[in-house]
Parts: sequence; structure tokens; C-alpha cells
Amino acid sequence: MSTITANWKKLLPSGVVVAACIVLPMVMEIGTNILNLMVMLFIFIILSQSWNLMGGYTGQINLGLAAFFGCGVLATHFLWKAEVPIYLAVLAGGVATMVLAVIIGLPTLRLRGVYFAIGTLAFAEVLRIVVGNIFTTWVKMPGSYVATYSLLPRYYLGLVIALIAIAVVYFVTNSKLGLAMVAVRDDEEAAQVTGVNTFKYKVLTLLISAFLAGLGGGVYAFYRLSFYTMSQVFSPLWTFEPVMAVMIGGAGTLLGPIIGSFFLVILSEIFALKLGEAHLIIFGILFILVVLYFPYGLVGSVDQVRQVMARVSRSRLWKAIH
Amino acid sequence: MEDVIQAIASGILVGALYALIAYGLGLIMGIMKFLNVAHGSLLILGGYVSYWIFTLWGINPYLSIPLVIIATFLAGLILYKLTLSPLLKLPDIEMRVANSLLITFGVIYVLDNAMALIWTPNSRSIMASYSGEAINIFGVKLSLTGLCGLGIAILVAVALYFILSKTYLGKHVRAATQDAEAASLCGVNVQRTYLISCGIAVALAGVAGVIVVSSYSITPGGGLSWLLIGIVVMVLAGEGNINAILPAGIILGLVESASIFVVGAPYRQAVALVIFIIVLMFRPQGLFTKKRTDVYYNS
Amino acid sequence: MLEISNIDVCYGDLQALWDVSLTVGGGEIVTLVGSNGAGKSTIMKAISGLLKPKTGSISFEGICVNKLPAHRIAELGISMVPEGRRLFPQMSVLENLEVGASAREAKKARHNTISWIYELFPILRARARQRAVTLSGGEQQMLAIGRALMSQPRLLLIDEMSLGLAPLLVQEISQVIKDINKSRKLTIFLVEQDVNMALSMADRGYIIEHGRIQSEGAARAFLCNERIKEAYLGISPVEKAG
Repeated sequence: MSTITANWKKLLPSGVVVAACIVLPMVMEIGTNILNLMVMLFIFIILSQSWNLMGGYTGQINLGLAAFFGCGVLATHFLWKAEVPIYLAVLAGGVATMVLAVIIGLPTLRLRGVYFAIGTLAFAEVLRIVVGNIFTTWVKMPGSYVATYSLLPRYYLGLVIALIAIAVVYFVTNSKLGLAMVAVRDDEEAAQVTGVNTFKYKVLTLLISAFLAGLGGGVYAFYRLSFYTMSQVFSPLWTFEPVMAVMIGGAGTLLGPIIGSFFLVILSEIFALKLGEAHLIIFGILFILVVLYFPYGLVGSVDQVRQVMARVSRSRLWKAIH
Repeated sequence: MEDVIQAIASGILVGALYALIAYGLGLIMGIMKFLNVAHGSLLILGGYVSYWIFTLWGINPYLSIPLVIIATFLAGLILYKLTLSPLLKLPDIEMRVANSLLITFGVIYVLDNAMALIWTPNSRSIMASYSGEAINIFGVKLSLTGLCGLGIAILVAVALYFILSKTYLGKHVRAATQDAEAASLCGVNVQRTYLISCGIAVALAGVAGVIVVSSYSITPGGGLSWLLIGIVVMVLAGEGNINAILPAGIILGLVESASIFVVGAPYRQAVALVIFIIVLMFRPQGLFTKKRTDVYYNS
Repeated sequence: MLEISNIDVCYGDLQALWDVSLTVGGGEIVTLVGSNGAGKSTIMKAISGLLKPKTGSISFEGICVNKLPAHRIAELGISMVPEGRRLFPQMSVLENLEVGASAREAKKARHNTISWIYELFPILRARARQRAVTLSGGEQQMLAIGRALMSQPRLLLIDEMSLGLAPLLVQEISQVIKDINKSRKLTIFLVEQDVNMALSMADRGYIIEHGRIQSEGAARAFLCNERIKEAYLGISPVEKAG
């Protein structure tokens, strides 16, 4: 807590933004378009923070994020249908996803790099096929839910969970677990040799990541109500787009996924209006360019520029002294 | 009993197609240690090229294979030059692999959307005169397209074996795989070797796509399921073990066929993936290699 | 034939060579000696193209090579026997040799060259179809040298040939090298920790320490030089005192 009060100047802009997000819809009439966008933005922030925890901090590429998201959607949907209050249902969705994470994690976490990625991808696909075969028709909510539908509760639920996700990632990465995660990313063998139980930390990270993704799924279940094809929420797009958000914004940072999600959701709307279908292709190309040439994303590039400038001024100083 | 024999026969034919899909994947994985996740989408691309040629000029898909090969070979060269070769400059192997996953994931996104734009999201398939036809041997139905697939798969297996063991290109490829720096000291242009290998790998994906579009159907987003099949076969064969791909594919085909009796057709794909997960857990070096397992595990 | 002028070489941020210059004349055997980590292998990597110098230039027969990729340098006529041999483990002896002849001209002449290599190192003919990883240390070194010779180089670089080899074997191999130098006028630049062996083979020598060239001179002169003998050739304190 002391770090927060110490850095209050840096936190002020974010504080203002958050306050605006909380207060504005209460006092103003915000159009449904913007509210819809904001809900999707919050969901993407949650999902990208979730993936970032594993991919950005631990260096483990989880290509099965959609499985966690979908699981959260499923669990929350049916619990809520069964008259469980929505906040509890969403929470339970997160917990259910953690159970799934244990099932998926135990076989795959021992695997190295590529094979972990393939394993998680395979699991997600299995889930998608199975779910698609079980739920072959509309999965609907009773009419009463539809009648009382209003966007504002969705907005606030999304906002709250997004803030929780950011807070969780912040506290985890600044804790002992966070150090272990970075150690695993940088050189897992070295970490193991120095006595770090890397497997335990990888499991923990997976559980937290899954929990957050499940919460995100819960928000989506609350938002969407009904699903034409249930398997759609297990589609690899739900893995890929958060990954894009993380990489474009900057992996391994707190701000990166937020900026990336903003980019993806908001700017994508703007581009879609102007460019139509092609805007997806442009985002894909942008993503590839970022991974190739700006591996630290937008956030990191600012940092990189700062570092380069620091190096330059240091050397001038050095030359001036000598 | 007849059902069993039919299942075996169909399993072999399907398995040959599965092997064909895995060749391109296995090449890139074995040589450059990259997983080309976009392989499935490139397969679909090959299918679309064949479909286009068929629709525009009425050329039989199997005859159009040379054209498809040229088109997809070029695509492979472009893929390598633009997205994979910059990765080779990275010093850390883990980073290279991770980035290759991300980048090829991005290529899927770009390619799938581009194909949807050009050819619309509707599913396409080539209905030629022989499309549903099958020949009958001792009461066992063997689909014509399946037999073509088997024939092509055998051809590819033999060709790859020959190229890799007898030609200089093959020796360059194997040398670059085993020690890239030493190879360049010997005068091998490693970058160009990788480039050509990538072209060949994507061309193989394209050929598989021709079989797929004439036996089944293709949609812009359908690459992922074919990719997963290719990955399963590749892992069953063992990383870098090109010669084991055909037998591995056939085994997968047979197992899938058998599973229809147990779980029913809709879960066929899921069965393949579950087998895959089991193999990953207990025998990640594949069914055919005796190699040490530490490449795959962390502890 | 080979001229290195004022090169600095770095591994990332770590500088390994400072302002290094040396020359190797046609037909000579020149050696570079120094202790572990002094920079010997770094120079070899810079010449063969695996590392690029930050400043300075390397020219071979008048052509500036420090910007060329390694395989181009190999095509120009420089061949290296790398430290640790770096054979292709799963390929046979014959295949290793064949890959060595990858440059176009060498490829055409490879059958003759292979026969020549088998004359130099008869054991390789016996093991022709065996995988390189199954060979003994000495045989692997012979194969590595043979592979480097397949491209008919005009300059042969040898990096730490004696590492892990029995002294008798080292003698044998160095004799073969000396013979090739005489009979084929093959210029040789070798880098060695075994100072005795290196200086007895070479015409001229350089000494490198901490990334800088310390001395240069005729090999025989080094062998007689008291300071050098003390630093590298292991004169015991008793001898020194008495």
C-alpha cells in the first residue's frame, strides 16, 4: 500500500480515468454503442491480463485460453439460469475454470515450450468439439431475463472485474510469485537449479490466469444471455485476439494489455467502419510486425526510446568527463 | 467382420491423407524447430487455388497439382522471407520458438480473413465426375479420391526419402539441422536451404489441400482442424522423423476408424486429439524414435 | 594472403578483441597462442565469418571479407576446422566429407578429393559408412580436418586441434598437416593451447593475451625466448633458479 501512496502522482491519470468510468454513466446518458464497446473492452482487458500473466510474465504460450473463457461462460450461464445471483455465478465460473485448469495443466505443464502450446491448443479444440456436439441448438435464457435486460449492470460488472483483474495481476507480479514467474521466463533451468520449485509456480500462475479468464467468461455470459452455437465461445479467436492485444500493447507489463485491448476493441470499431472486412487483415499484419520488430509492444517502445536516450546522454557525459 | 475390414480400409486411406498433411509441418519443425501453426490455413489456400483453377478452366484438381505446387511453393518462400527468417537472428532458441508460434498464429488470422474476403466464407468443394465414386474390391469400398490421396502420399514419402538421403540439397538440409554454423563453414548457404525447405513444406500443404477440397470441403476458417491432425501425426512420428510420418498417419487413421465403433462419428476428431494428449504425456518422442525425452520435458 | 587490420570484436556488449592486427603469408604456417579465454577462438570466428568485427577489416587475397556471410567466405577459399570439431553427428563419415565439398568447384572434384583424404587418413576409409558420432576423438579430428580440406581451400584455419587428444595422435596429425603445407603449398593458420606443438609446427607465431596481441615473431625465436618459455612452456622454478 505504501508504494501506492508514494507514487500517487503517477497514479493520478489512471485514477481519473477509472473515476470517469465509474461516474460518467451514472450522471450522463451514454449511447448503447459506446456501452457495448466498453463491455467488450473490459472483457478483453480481463482476457488479455489473464494471458499476459502466463505468456508475458512466465513466458509460457497458452494457446488454449478459449477453453478457460468458454468454461466460464458455460458455468456462469447455467448457474445464473438456475437463479444463482449473477455476481456469485460469475465467481463460480471463475472457480469452475480453475478446476478445468487443473485438468489441463497437470499433463501439459511438464511439457516444454512448443509442446505446452500444442497441448493447450489441443485441449481447447477437444472442448470445442465436445461442447459443439452436446449443445447443438440455441442455448437460451428464459424470457424474463431478456425482458429485464439493461446494459448498465453489464457495464459495471465488466468494469469491476476488469479492475479486479488488473489489481490481481499487479499484486501477483509484485510478489514473490512474480519473481519466480520472471525467473521461469528468463531461464527455467537456472531457476530450478537454484532451488525454485518451478512446477509449483507454473501451476499457480495457470490457476490464477484461468480464474481471471473464467471471470471474463462470466461477464460475457451476463452480457450475451443466449448463444446460437455454444461452441462459438470456445473458438480460437477468443485466444488469439487477447494475445494480439497483449503483444501489440506490450507483453510483460501491466499497462500493455490495457492499451492493446483499447487498440483492438475501440480502434477496430473505427477501422471497421472505414475499411470493412479488410480491417481484420490489417490488424493481423500489424500484430506480425509488432512481434517481429517491436517485441515490447507499444508500452515497451516508449521504454525502449527512454532507454536509448538514457544511453546516449550517459555516453555524452562520459565523453565530456574524459 | 466386413465392417471391420471396411473400417481398416477407410482408415488406411484417411491415414494417408493425414500423413500428407503432416509432411510439411514435420519438415519445418525438424529443420528449423519452428511450429508453423499456419500450416492448416496454407493447406486451405492450396485447396482454394485448385478450386479456382477448376472453376475457371475446368481442370481436374489432380492435374492442377503442379500449378498448386508452384503457387504454394512461392507462398512458402514469401512466408519464410517475411516472417520466419527475421526470427533466426534471435539468439535465444526459446524466444525463437515462442515468437514463431505467435507470428504464424498471426499469419492464420491474416490468411483466413484474406481468403474469406476473396472467396467468401461459404464452404467450397470440387464436384468432379469421380467425386463420390469408389471402386469395389472384395466388397470393400475404396473411394477414388482416397486412393489418389494414398498414391500421392506414397509418392511424397519416397520422394522425400530420396531427396533427403541422396541429393546434395538433402545433405545440406540434414547438415543445417544438425549444426547450422558448421554447415555454413562448409560453404552451405543455410539461409537459402531453409528458404527452399520452407517452400517445399508449404507446397506439400498445398497438395494436401487439393485432396481435401476434392474429398471433403474447405472453408476459410477450417485450417485449424487440419493443422491439429497434422500436429498429431507429427508428434506420433517423432520430431524430425520424416520417414515415420506415413506409418504414423496410417496408424492415426486406423485408430480414428476404430473409434467410430466406440464413440460415434461426431467425436472422431476429439478422439484423435485425446490420443495426442496421451502420447504427449507419456511418449512425447513419438512411437518410432528411441531418442531421449529431455527435449520435451522440463524436469 | 590474409591480413587482419585493427579489428575489435564483441560478443554483444562484451568486448573480446582490441585492435588486433596480424598477417599470414602464402605458404606459411602461422600460429596464434595464448591462454584460455585470451581471444584465440574469437579471431577464428571473425575470420571465418561467424562473428563480424565492430571495427577494422579482414582481407583475404586482397578481398575484404569481414562483411561476407560465412558460406561465402568458405567459397572464397578459407576453410575452418572448428573448435570441438563440430561434425554432423548423425551423418556418415562419407556424408560429412561430401558436405565439406559444397562449393560448386569442389563438388565436381569431390571423388578425387575424397580419395586423397582417405590416403591422408586411412582409418576414415574403413569407417566411411559409420555415423560420425560413433568415431573416437582422434578419428573425429581427422574427419573434421578432412571435411575442411574437401573444399580445396587456399587457407586452412585450425582451432584448438589438440584439445582432448592423446599426444601421440596430436603428433601424427600435425605431421600430416605439415606435409600438406609442403606438398600442396596450403597456407595454415592455427590457434592452439598446446604451445610446444604449435611453435614446433609453425614458421611464425603471435601471442595473444586478454584480447590483445602481445608479441610476434619467428616460431623458433619464441621457443628460445626465456620469458615465453616461462610463461607458456612450463619451466619449473627450480630450473629457473638454477
